[in-house]
Amino acid sequence: MTTIRAEWAKLRSVRSTWWTVVAAVVVMAATAAQVAIYVANGNTNDDPSDDAGVVPLGSVLIDSLELVQYAVLALGLLMITSEFTTGTIRTTLQCTPSRGRVLLAKAAVTATVTFGLGLLLGAVGAAVAGPVLGEWGAAPAAGTLRDVVALAGYLALIGVLALGLGAVLRSAVLTLTVLLAVLMIVPLSLREPDITALNRVADVFPGEAGRHFLAGDGQPYPPAVGLLLLAGWAAVALLAGRAALRRRDA
Amino acid sequence: MITLRTLTKRFGSTAAVDELTVDIAPGRVTGFLGPNGAGKSTTMRLILGLDRPTAGQALIGGRPYRRLRRPLHEVGALLDARAVHPARSGRAHLSAMAASNGISERRVDEVLATVGLDERAAAKPARAFSLGMGQRLGIAGALLGDPPVLMFDEPVNGLDPDGVRWIRQLARSLAAEGRTVLISSHLMSEMQQTADWLVVLGRGRLIADAPTAQVIADSGVAVRVRSPRPEGLAAVADRLTAAGAVVESAGTDELTVTGTTAERVGELAYELKVPLHELASHEASLERAFMALTADRVEYAARPARTGGASA
Repeated sequence: MTTIRAEWAKLRSVRSTWWTVVAAVVVMAATAAQVAIYVANGNTNDDPSDDAGVVPLGSVLIDSLELVQYAVLALGLLMITSEFTTGTIRTTLQCTPSRGRVLLAKAAVTATVTFGLGLLLGAVGAAVAGPVLGEWGAAPAAGTLRDVVALAGYLALIGVLALGLGAVLRSAVLTLTVLLAVLMIVPLSLREPDITALNRVADVFPGEAGRHFLAGDGQPYPPAVGLLLLAGWAAVALLAGRAALRRRDA
Repeated sequence: MITLRTLTKRFGSTAAVDELTVDIAPGRVTGFLGPNGAGKSTTMRLILGLDRPTAGQALIGGRPYRRLRRPLHEVGALLDARAVHPARSGRAHLSAMAASNGISERRVDEVLATVGLDERAAAKPARAFSLGMGQRLGIAGALLGDPPVLMFDEPVNGLDPDGVRWIRQLARSLAAEGRTVLISSHLMSEMQQTADWLVVLGRGRLIADAPTAQVIADSGVAVRVRSPRPEGLAAVADRLTAAGAVVESAGTDELTVTGTTAERVGELAYELKVPLHELASHEASLERAFMALTADRVEYAARPARTGGASA
């Protein structure tokens, strides 16, 4: 608990944390508005095949994550990579020599903050997209709330994934590059030739698992499996991070 | 009490710390002395569990650092004063450290007062700190848990004379309270005024572990030799080195020799027909003692200049 308090104190005492939150909110508002405009415009199109019909607000929010998730990833990876660039990792490990404790505390803080941020982003996105969608949006209270909680959970898990990866790679740029590859580029490339085997492999990647979890499409696996897969990736990243912290000199 | 037992750290094929076995006792200021690259900082990092030893162990009160639950209450260390997030205020830095070890905010105020950082200075982001302020912040962090063991790595670096005097008094008063105080430095003159005991390191190996006064006394008298003939001086230097003395050159026309006497140097110069402009014995200093101790341990040891035709 003391280690968690220390990590929280470190996170909130750096201004860049708050700028990241502000950036995430702004990006979310802009993206949600844009997605909502597409939906609304699609429905006033003369071509009935373009007609999207009435779209649930929750799915607009989920579609808006594509870009804003990188601001949230930045929060997670900066929790640890900034310690290596500034040398504060030595102070941190001096205060708390147990590498596992340090990383677990960081994971708890990252998950809590990114989950909370996810709820905020959901609210902001709903406030912006709702009016834009107008008659073309459906916002059943329970369904929308479930979607917002799910997207907050998704952001918390990829935040922890970024943290674990950052502990292994130590560099923010390198970590972000690998995350971009794992979340988007590699699964997209695997899907490109549309071969079933490769599609199955792509489905296992964390970004895809998260997408299936959020979309709740049940194809090729139910949302719960997507959630478990994503959580598994986050756990593996944390374990790898702990091993790296233990073995390598700080 | 810090206990090192055959502590070894290799980076590739070079041993930064080489089978170091020594006890750092409480109640006195121990100077940890050695030229740059001797392995002082690596040893301190090994003690703090930041680096993993290749072999051997470093114990604090009988336990390895990585086993300590609330280490700030056991060891306070200033390693690298720059290891503060540049955007974080000095106070927030200390508060986070305090939180990690269950130390109160009141104690943060206390240590800030002890090191002389006022409220306004502590509220500044660390990037606005001068080197001296950074050192003070680092020392404040070391004092947070009121630990019985303190380690300062090159604490006087970048400090003005007032700061240097302050560190010296602080170290002495901490030792007088019965704490273990280990201060590393490559500045021999500084250690001479601060340390009761010296642990001297050269190329990662223990060279001396004795009271400061004894280290100085053991080094013997230094002899200064000046001659207008560089090649003649080089010949004298060669013969002295062959006889087991330690020779340093201070320019082409001057040598400082330890491990011999002025008489011996004078006779040798006469024998080699080298005219001397000066031949004098000097009071031994820690500086000199240190040079004598580490002469064969330093990779870049000064050698007398050899300017052709150095025959006797």
